[in-house]
Amino acid sequence: MNAFRAELLKATTTRLLLWFGLGLLAFLVLVLSIHIGSHDPGSLREPSTQRSTFAFAGIASIVAVLIGSLLVTAEYAHGTINQSFLAVPVRGRLLAAKLAAGIVVVFVLAALADLATLVLSELWYRGRGASLHLGSYTLAPFLGAVGASILAGGIGVGLGALIRRQTGTIVVILLWLLIGEGVISAAGDSARFAPGHVLGAVVAAHRISNAGDMLAVWPAVVVGLVYVAIFCGLGFLAVAGSDVPSRGD
Amino acid sequence: MIEVEHLTKRYRRATAVDDLSFSVPRGRITGFLGPNGAGKTTTLRVLLGLVLPTNGRATVAGHRYRELHAPLRTVGAVLEASNYHPARTGRNHLRVLASAAGIASARVDHVLAQVELSDAANRRLGGYSLGMRQRLSVAAALLGEPELLVLDEPANGLDPEGIRWLRNFLRSFAEGGGTVFVSSHVLAEVSQLADEAVIIHRGKLVAQQTVSELTLQAAGATRVRSPRAEELLARLREAGIEGDATESGVLAVHAPPERIGDLAAEAGIPLHELVADTGSLEEAFLELTAEPQA
Repeated sequence: MNAFRAELLKATTTRLLLWFGLGLLAFLVLVLSIHIGSHDPGSLREPSTQRSTFAFAGIASIVAVLIGSLLVTAEYAHGTINQSFLAVPVRGRLLAAKLAAGIVVVFVLAALADLATLVLSELWYRGRGASLHLGSYTLAPFLGAVGASILAGGIGVGLGALIRRQTGTIVVILLWLLIGEGVISAAGDSARFAPGHVLGAVVAAHRISNAGDMLAVWPAVVVGLVYVAIFCGLGFLAVAGSDVPSRGD
Repeated sequence: MIEVEHLTKRYRRATAVDDLSFSVPRGRITGFLGPNGAGKTTTLRVLLGLVLPTNGRATVAGHRYRELHAPLRTVGAVLEASNYHPARTGRNHLRVLASAAGIASARVDHVLAQVELSDAANRRLGGYSLGMRQRLSVAAALLGEPELLVLDEPANGLDPEGIRWLRNFLRSFAEGGGTVFVSSHVLAEVSQLADEAVIIHRGKLVAQQTVSELTLQAAGATRVRSPRAEELLARLREAGIEGDATESGVLAVHAPPERIGDLAAEAGIPLHELVADTGSLEEAFLELTAEPQA
């Protein structure tokens, strides 16, 4: 519990979350403006359009994977991992604390992304002379965004522990999201099991698989948890079996 | 307090520490000496559980670091002064460590005052000088009120005032019953501070002795002047002490002045001069770590 509290304190005593939060907000303003602005008022009233609008809150999961990785790699980048392991020398315990803290942090971030998406959508809808109809069908992506962010945060912690280099980890994540997922889409049905597709399926929150390239929500959650377990397991093994880097002799 | 037993650490083809064994007694200041690259930092990092040994073990109070029930309450470590998040304040840096170790947050302000950093506590670490960061490292080490301080080159980059502060601080810590194990290649510092010295070279133990023994070992002969020098030299040789006549009435004797003085007194031989040619830890260190001539 002490290690968990310390990890939360670490996350909240730098500007990391502030900048990511502001960046996410700016991105949501941009994409929601483009999305809502490009629909005519009649289309905006469609529940399916509102559902797809709210699904933009799922962008939080991209930020979540970055935050999860930075909770580990920033410590290696700044050398503070040395003091962290001095205070909590059982490495698995420290990484478990990072995972737990990461889940809490990205949960809050995703909830704020949901709120921001709702408020921005309401403002845009009013401006376009339409109104939002809130119900379980249209609001489901908000829950999906929270779930996908938690899974993404867990994957990020595991990936950060596995690679441990801050720039390298961010590059791997961005390359995968921008190129890897696209390439794997060409593989046909199996692309449904790629990490990005799985997170997208959790955000979309369809109860049954409605498209060939997307799982239904609960199978997607299960596959997402498998990814978290694999990345965290490999990351923990990598950290436990390696020396903590030093700049000394 | 510290036991290092047959410790070996290899990095691919390079051997940083090679079958190293030594112990550090409780309640004393022990210097850990060696040239750059001798394996001091690696040894300390193995001791602190940050580096995995290839063979052997290093323990504190009989336990590996990771097995200690409350590590920060047993060992306070001062490693590199660059291990900080620049956006975090000094106080928050310590709050994080205190929280992780289950130490009351009230200790944070106490140790900040102890290292004279209270005024800078709410400044971001990116704006700290090297000396301030080094003091913060000491504050972090003191958070758990440990009985052992392990310091890796703590004087690196410190100005003379900072070095004096550190020396006084470590002395007062040891006077309070604490144990200090401090690595350094600044021999003058260690000779003023340490009771004992562990000297390593190329990962191997070269010597472990008290600083006074080491300096004595490095000392030249004791200069003795007497009107009955030849008679004194014979008496000294009978007692198994080596010596030579260097000039008329002057001897160079390989023994401490006290021993020579006692023997001369017993024999009733007058002495006009009895001067120890004091060596230094630096001389001992250079002698012990000298590369063999090709």
